[in-house]
Amino acid sequence: MKKILCLLLFISFSAFAQIPNQNLYDEAFEKLSDMLDGKRKLSFKEAVFTVENAYLQGMLDTVFVNRQINFLKNLSVQIQQNRILEYNERDKETVSKYASLFVVMKDTTKIIDQNEKVFLHLPFEYDFEDVFGHYEWENMFVSKLLATRKGNCHSLPYLYKILAEEIGVTAHLALAPSHTYIKHRSEKDGWYNTELTSGIFPIDAWLMASGYIHIDAIRNGVYMKALTDKESIALCLVDLALSYQKHEFYDLDFVIKCADKALEYFPNYISAMMLITEAKGKQIENILFGKGTDFSKVNQYPETRKILEEVRQDLVKIHELGYRQMPEEMYLDWLVSLYYERDKYQNKKINTFTKTD
Amino acid sequence: MRTSKLLNLTLIIGLTVQLTFGQAPQIPTIQIPTVPQPTHFTPQSIFDLPKPHSPTNPMDIFQGTDEQERIRRQNEQLIREAEKYEHQRLETQKQLYADLKMERTNFGLPSKNHIAGTEYYRKAFDKLSGMNPDDFSVKEATFIIENAFYEEQKSYEEFDKIVKQTGNFLRKKMDELGYDPNSNLPKNLILFQFFSDTLELKKENLKHLPFKYDFDDYWGKEDWTKMFVHKLLQTGSGQCNSLPRLYLILAEEIGAEAFLALSPNHSYIKFRDDDDNWYNLELTNGMFTLDSFVLQSGYIKSEALQNGIYMQPLSSKQLLSQLITDFASGYTHKFGYSPFVKKVADKALELDPKSANANMVNSNFLTIQFENAVKQIGVNPRDNKDLQNIRFYPPIVEMLNQTNAQYHKIDDLGYEYMPATAYQKWLDDLMEAKQQQDNENIKRQFNIKLNQFKD
Repeated sequence: MKKILCLLLFISFSAFAQIPNQNLYDEAFEKLSDMLDGKRKLSFKEAVFTVENAYLQGMLDTVFVNRQINFLKNLSVQIQQNRILEYNERDKETVSKYASLFVVMKDTTKIIDQNEKVFLHLPFEYDFEDVFGHYEWENMFVSKLLATRKGNCHSLPYLYKILAEEIGVTAHLALAPSHTYIKHRSEKDGWYNTELTSGIFPIDAWLMASGYIHIDAIRNGVYMKALTDKESIALCLVDLALSYQKHEFYDLDFVIKCADKALEYFPNYISAMMLITEAKGKQIENILFGKGTDFSKVNQYPETRKILEEVRQDLVKIHELGYRQMPEEMYLDWLVSLYYERDKYQNKKINTFTKTD
Repeated sequence: MRTSKLLNLTLIIGLTVQLTFGQAPQIPTIQIPTVPQPTHFTPQSIFDLPKPHSPTNPMDIFQGTDEQERIRRQNEQLIREAEKYEHQRLETQKQLYADLKMERTNFGLPSKNHIAGTEYYRKAFDKLSGMNPDDFSVKEATFIIENAFYEEQKSYEEFDKIVKQTGNFLRKKMDELGYDPNSNLPKNLILFQFFSDTLELKKENLKHLPFKYDFDDYWGKEDWTKMFVHKLLQTGSGQCNSLPRLYLILAEEIGAEAFLALSPNHSYIKFRDDDDNWYNLELTNGMFTLDSFVLQSGYIKSEALQNGIYMQPLSSKQLLSQLITDFASGYTHKFGYSPFVKKVADKALELDPKSANANMVNSNFLTIQFENAVKQIGVNPRDNKDLQNIRFYPPIVEMLNQTNAQYHKIDDLGYEYMPATAYQKWLDDLMEAKQQQDNENIKRQFNIKLNQFKD
């Protein structure tokens, strides 16, 4: 009996990983495209969970996720009411909301319920294991972050943006190599950064001095640009394609379709461009495999030669935009540098709620 | 570059927090009485109505009756109405006063054209505006700007002579060293050597010592002439404004291509070799620098790079805009702010709408104009509550809106104020081992390229 159960589990599990539910992916694509084209109300929360649900074969626990988000939203409202922000510009109300989100994400908060019982709301932590979702793709997900309270530079800023949307303020996502962070704008400080992995407000020099961002990439808005809401949905479209590729069998055309749509609204989105060049590379391989040969013969067939030429042009463009690859092992060193060189890179002007207890 | 009055300005913005008609209008929420919906009437309320024939209690005389309550309420109502009327009367009075005041007063800053010395600035501005933004002489523009401050006491012939002589010196030295006179790289190298090394022409017994960095009052707060090329030529020491400026003048003279580039409170030289490799020259201490060093100042936001306000070679148009902004600053140091400054700033902005420095001059002007106007109506700009009274003066409200919009624009550009101490620290960092090493590395590469030209 036990054996059968194990076997059943095994079958269902492997099926889960192998074949994507194309219907769910198609629906997700439609939904996100409609948001971009203005045919549907733009909601970052909906976009993110639609993508996660597609990967999870429709098994996303929406009740749990919504309850958690509602709780965090209420917590943020409570914090705004109970704490005082030392900030005196016209946009105090909005900046208080930003500050409350930061507390929700990165501070320990004491909560007293109706029965006078005291709870502690703990900060969300950075998960140093599997930063890129190599072992388990769910490690990138907001739903996983809500369940385990551990996340990475993908899920943490995403959750922040979702909560911002819930309490009615704008939070801009911003990109760096293999990284996402938050940008806000206030009357007092203009644009400033919120870094959720280490929970500080770094100045731009931290990213600029990393050595992995070419100055042209900043000039061209590839990195360090406050993304609009539509550009954020474009990010979700690429997430959708990346999730889709995690299944063992998939359709390259769908991947390209997602990336193309993303580029329509965020033309300098490097990840979308990379996705296309990779997919085209695989297309060449498939064609050559069909002809019973390999990559060494790529120039012998007009159809593969043509695709290869496209890939070359794409790569030139990617390089010109200022993209340089950042080795994964360097990424963590760099991320940690923020923690150890806090004094050098911290923006000391940002006002946050002072902890009352 | 020079300090801004940002601190001063932020104060103003801070004071306007509660103004209800700011740039992002915060309309006071008024409780509009809602039309009662049928469901609002709860059935119980019917039983609470006083019964018409209820017997009166004799004790009511002492404890108050419904009638007394009614009178009390009526009185309260009367008081409220009187207060409201009084308030309205006051408002009307203030409005009348404001209307009269507005008829008689010009809220703009007063002209300073009657002050002796301003006429040189007006003349100089006409000359600068008449220049072709796409092709003008930096030498001429610089002379006009500095001579306006010196009240036309300087001689162009003399200035021109020094530049020409130096040009000849450089050409002869290039010849002596065997540098290719037709290539951009050797020309810039000789210029760089002229600024940072001792150069000798043995045949003619001529010697030029490197220029020094003048640490004293390098922002020209005490003495604006510290910014000038005249001062640099006279004393052999200058700062981050005069050194690159002289470099551009001499580059123009010997036909080298070089550009000015800006960073917070600072300017430096950028040039390229024939293979389109760009080099940064830091003239305050005669070193090659990498972009990463400039970025490490910590005051460059990504938005500033996206808008190209820093670290980009300035086009001819942008350079003229920058020079005109310098010119405006010279005027304000001497005479303060007047409508003339606005005219000059507008010209600079027309040439380069995103120029951080021109935008700063403009916002300083707008702020000072606003403060001045507010004082004219007897309102204290430092008192938040008092400031509300500008609502009777639409022209002043408009001024505030303009000032706020200008601030918004500066934030959009990614400008951030860099304090003097931070600037000094950053310049000192140039002496760190890493920067020295970078400098040596670039010099080595540079020499390899140069030797190719010699052969």
